[in-house]
Amino acid sequence: MIFELNAEVLEITIRSIMISGGAVLLSSTWSLPLAYITSIKVRGELIPSILEALIGMPTVLLGLLLYFLLSSQGPLGFMRMLYTPQAIILGQALLITPLIIATSYRILRYSIETYGELALSLGASKGQAMIIAFRESIPGLLASLTMAFSRAIGELGIALIVGGNIKGYTRVLTTAIALEVSKGDFEKAVSLGMMLLLIMVVLALTIKSIRRLLT
Amino acid sequence: MIYLKNVWFRYPGSNSWVLRDINLKVLPNEVIYIVGPNGSGKTTLLKIIGLLYKPTRGYVIVEGKEFWSLSESLKTKLRRDVVYVFEKPILLRRSVIENVAYGLLIRGFRRDEAFRMAENVLNTLGVNYLANRDWYELSAGEAQIVSIARALILRPKILLLDEPFTHLDRAKRSKLIEVISNLKRNGVGIVLTSHIEDTRLPIDKIVYIENGSIHERT
Repeated sequence: MIFELNAEVLEITIRSIMISGGAVLLSSTWSLPLAYITSIKVRGELIPSILEALIGMPTVLLGLLLYFLLSSQGPLGFMRMLYTPQAIILGQALLITPLIIATSYRILRYSIETYGELALSLGASKGQAMIIAFRESIPGLLASLTMAFSRAIGELGIALIVGGNIKGYTRVLTTAIALEVSKGDFEKAVSLGMMLLLIMVVLALTIKSIRRLLT
Repeated sequence: MIYLKNVWFRYPGSNSWVLRDINLKVLPNEVIYIVGPNGSGKTTLLKIIGLLYKPTRGYVIVEGKEFWSLSESLKTKLRRDVVYVFEKPILLRRSVIENVAYGLLIRGFRRDEAFRMAENVLNTLGVNYLANRDWYELSAGEAQIVSIARALILRPKILLLDEPFTHLDRAKRSKLIEVISNLKRNGVGIVLTSHIEDTRLPIDKIVYIENGSIHERT
């Protein structure tokens, strides 16, 4: 029984990491370029303030919007993505977009203003200055992506609404915890919860080590 | 030589002028001392001389050419003769020796050669013991002297020092004054701002700045 529980917890954990990791990767493809553009083009605090407000968007609301889009009657119904891991990845990627842009843009702006100007003052070309500014911002960007991963893996609304909590397919840690609590199996819910916590701690330590290596 | 001609400057999005109608020549072999209260525009003026800020109006003439109308490659070439040392030391997240050698590495110097030259400069400033330390291990004064070493290694024609004595103790200040005197003797033009007056500084011209306008005294 205990072995079965561990195997299932492990399987759900791996799926959760893959889905939320995929969401961070997918979101990075548009969020980091947008953060860069924001850092060099946007002046004033209006757009950053809007982005910061969107960080707290309720996941159930985003899940519901995605459900309408992806359901068979919805405009994207033809993609047959509802109740698939891909739907959760898409939802989580959208969820963490404001978080990545809002945190990365400040890091990039500081880096460009500080290290970019320093490099120019030491005779670097514009290209060399951008490279050094980007290199110096890597630890901060990694921290930003870690925060995004934490937000993604800890959310419930999107995974439940567009994932459907299908055993062996779209069940992730948060949906599994919700299910076990509703069934009254608190022991299993706690094991899953501990696993979620462990991921956060391991991730934080790993990122700290990477940052130390990079700097 | 750098010549600021009718230079006006205001920051993007701001309505107030930081610098107004500045005319100033920076010559080799000349030490210019910029004096003024906080917020008077000293750092902005220094960054315009350092070819880092583009004036809102007016011209920056470098070796007879209007700098801001030149191609990027020419701008980089001319910028390499002018080095600016920031008031608040900014160090790359690397060791001291890598920081000092950085300017040479981007100019294409071999790593071992750049590091050897970096050691020499640190030696000249009496801080060779810092060479292998990481950037986060330095005090403010040590970071300041490292950023000055990083500028000196590039042998600029014009050296701009923004409040260079702020974090330095008496011994390091004396060393820096000695270095400035040697640079002047070797034909380097130096522009510096400082709140700390020191009669040992070989000053040729004092520029007073207030509310963005300057007047000179030789």
